[in-house]
Amino acid sequence: MSENLLSTVDLDQTLSAQTPQEILSFALEQFDNIAISFSGAEDVVLVDMAYKIAPEKVQVFSLDTGRLHSETYRYIEKVREHYNIDIDVVFPESEAVNKLVREKGLFSFYKDDHKECCSIRKIGPLRRKLLTVDAWITGQRRDQSPGTRAAIPVIQDDKAFARPGESLTKFNPLANWSSEQVWAYIRSNNVPYNELHDRGFVSIGCEPCTRPTGPTQHEREGRWWWEEATLKECGLHDVNIKK
Amino acid sequence: MKITLVKKIKLDGSLCKKCEEVQQKLDATGQISLIDEVLIADERDPLSPGMEIASLFNVERAPFFLVEREGKAPEIHTIYFKFVKEVLNQKTLEEDELKEILNDNPDLDFL
Repeated sequence: MSENLLSTVDLDQTLSAQTPQEILSFALEQFDNIAISFSGAEDVVLVDMAYKIAPEKVQVFSLDTGRLHSETYRYIEKVREHYNIDIDVVFPESEAVNKLVREKGLFSFYKDDHKECCSIRKIGPLRRKLLTVDAWITGQRRDQSPGTRAAIPVIQDDKAFARPGESLTKFNPLANWSSEQVWAYIRSNNVPYNELHDRGFVSIGCEPCTRPTGPTQHEREGRWWWEEATLKECGLHDVNIKK
Repeated sequence: MKITLVKKIKLDGSLCKKCEEVQQKLDATGQISLIDEVLIADERDPLSPGMEIASLFNVERAPFFLVEREGKAPEIHTIYFKFVKEVLNQKTLEEDELKEILNDNPDLDFL
């Protein structure tokens, strides 16, 4: 990895004009220790693309929150067998989960909000995993949530999960793709997909926090539907920053 | 070493929520005594000192810490717990760290 390749802002402009496969090729060329985050849903296209580009370099991990649908567990296994790859399934710290359940029960997210549970079951194991790599790849797309993903770059300097004093690069090769493009890829390449998609689930997460959506609903409405969307407020509005 | 904290005043004149929370933590832990200067980024005034620093260092989030050490390039820290651990060399609770990461990166819960 060349030092500070990553004037990520400049690179983002260049990579944004490229296809997901070109972005993935770039990422896999630049980094040896790079892993794909696979959620057990349509982000499988990244596994398929990476497998076709550089099968020997494909490192995949999944976050097992302990609350996934049984269909998702079966699907993760199916992907492992289909591509003949290792999938590193990472788990939350049992002590932290015990404490949460002991103090607040198994469904606290319906009363509070989902963030406490997600931070323990998802963010904790994600951080542990990311401390072991130099770069990671996600299937995040701008069209997944107008509120929180509207500005997702193709490449970013991930300060939240970087090891102290080091850098971690995050690639979002599907940032500019739509759900329709992802599904066209899945269909035309015969990529295995989670059977829940055939039952109306668009976005798939933990079982208690995911539901099917109707034809006119945004996929975000299939997740944490009992919470009101809130807007981030800590961005410094560009229009007001003197250039 | 000089540490500057930049807090944001929103368009409606109130302090941003995270700025309030970080200020409370700094006060409660006594870490505020290690901060040399506090500047305000007032969204209503692009020439306010905090807005100018944000522009200079291309920072898009508040609050943030500017750390200047002799002979070294200035550092910007937008994540409070990392600042506490890596600059102040003090301990933080993992549950607080994880919540801050998710609050700052709400897109992560989709993973």
